[in-house]
Amino acid sequence: MSALTLNDVAVAGRLAPVTLALGPGQTVGLVGPNGSGKSTLMQAAGGLLPYSGRVGWNGQWLADIPMMERGRMTAWVPQEAHFEFGFTVRSVVAQGRYAFGDDEQGVEAALARFDLTTLAHRPVNRLSGGERHRVLLARAIATGASIHLWDEPLGALDPRHGLKVLALADELKHAGGTVMMSLHDLRVAYYLDQVVVLSEGRLQAVGRPHDVLTPELLHDVFGVRAEFVSSLVLKLK
Amino acid sequence: MKPLLPARLALPLLVLLLGLLALLSLAVGEVRLGPAELLAGLLRRDEFATTILWQIRLPRLGVAMLVGAALAASGLVMQAYFRNSLASPGLLGVSSGGAAGAVIAIGAGWAGASFLFVPLAAIAGALVATGAVVVLARQGAGTERLLLAGIALNALLGAVTSYVLSQATLTYERNAKILFWLLGGLEDRTWEHVAMAAPILLGAALLWPLGRPMDLLSLGWSEAQSLGVDVTRLRRRLLGLSTLLTALATAVAGTVGFVGLVVPHILRLLVGPEHRRLVPLALVGGAVFVIACDLAARAAGGLRLGIVTALIGGPFFLWLLRRQT
Repeated sequence: MSALTLNDVAVAGRLAPVTLALGPGQTVGLVGPNGSGKSTLMQAAGGLLPYSGRVGWNGQWLADIPMMERGRMTAWVPQEAHFEFGFTVRSVVAQGRYAFGDDEQGVEAALARFDLTTLAHRPVNRLSGGERHRVLLARAIATGASIHLWDEPLGALDPRHGLKVLALADELKHAGGTVMMSLHDLRVAYYLDQVVVLSEGRLQAVGRPHDVLTPELLHDVFGVRAEFVSSLVLKLK
Repeated sequence: MKPLLPARLALPLLVLLLGLLALLSLAVGEVRLGPAELLAGLLRRDEFATTILWQIRLPRLGVAMLVGAALAASGLVMQAYFRNSLASPGLLGVSSGGAAGAVIAIGAGWAGASFLFVPLAAIAGALVATGAVVVLARQGAGTERLLLAGIALNALLGAVTSYVLSQATLTYERNAKILFWLLGGLEDRTWEHVAMAAPILLGAALLWPLGRPMDLLSLGWSEAQSLGVDVTRLRRRLLGLSTLLTALATAVAGTVGFVGLVVPHILRLLVGPEHRRLVPLALVGGAVFVIACDLAARAAGGLRLGIVTALIGGPFFLWLLRRQT
């Protein structure tokens, strides 16, 4: 049984039909040029925008899952972290427990995980971009969901927190979760089990990073001539 | 910024303030009533005081409380909905829509047919305005877009109202009525107006449990949905409620500006942004604000309520705008 199933999922004008099945216990990188449909695919997979086709989570079709239940099953981290109102860091992370009747379970651990404990009572609209992103990631963890959709989680983060995000993805995977994240840094894709390549709203390739990310594909999709020299890849010990 | 007031204290304090202002508003006026007369009048033991209180001051107080509660709550909802702390029924043109609807009903002579026609026309007008803002501004719209949409709608609806004014062959009485809509006030309010505005209490009751999901919505529609909020349903309810609240308030008091902007903002400064607290506080705080403005209007020798709220709200809005940029 796959954890995340997309059956001919398309979004008018933005994404041509995509069929994809991702198993439990997998980390997946979503790569492609700007405007290739990464965010659209991720939001369709999360049921967050109108799509055609069928999306399935843990063997259930999305249309059959009540809204509250959806909040427990998946967590989505948007690319942009804009906060109009001055909620405290802690209260935003605690929103991850909304679908559990605001039971606050795991909120402290999620804060600690992203070094937010000392910022817990600060208003989120006064934080830096990277700090705001950490708040959103902590909220995603607080949901305890098994399917994670993270839209460019590394874009705004410093090395310490970038590495923590990757370690976290591994941890979720070993606990049987599925983590899909969009990326621009292709080196990071080698951390992950699978890569999904998009270009101009179309699915180009799916597979293991070493098999998929060939110089030919880089040329076709990104329009660059490049070769792999060595991989300088960091990992938390 | 840290909340200025312990959250637990805010509601009791505001309720106390509401009680004091309500008593003051019953006591002062052309005839000043002392505590003994006030009590006698309220218990209908003194004919003179009874007449003043039950015929004039109590209905006026009732309308003031309902209008204030409705406008403040409506502003709070719009700010969460549009994720913009400058949204409010007056600035977005929803009040003008309600007034235009009411003026059309009066200008066409429907007002005499049933006392329900004017509020119903106000609700219809407010709904049209809300629909237009939603289409023009969309979610999370920038301040510029939202305010420009409001400017355009206010101008358009003002033109509609002026057209009705200039076309209808108006008697003096009708003219006075139409002017009443354009510049809200609480003069000559009767128990009929209190009854007309009473569904505001129902709106408040329906809004009460939506505070928590409003928190999530105010930080983003997709975000809220991903956390388990039924966003489509919540949005529909919030828009319906805020429109209804504004329309009913406009139907009994005309356009009273800035209440929905000033009150939620002050409350957020006092207790923070959590809507579970803000919804009840806005209902009480709005009533406090309007009663206080009405007292000021009466003390200034019969200024209209709409003038006082604008004199306070206008500079407040400019200050907010400056702080935001």
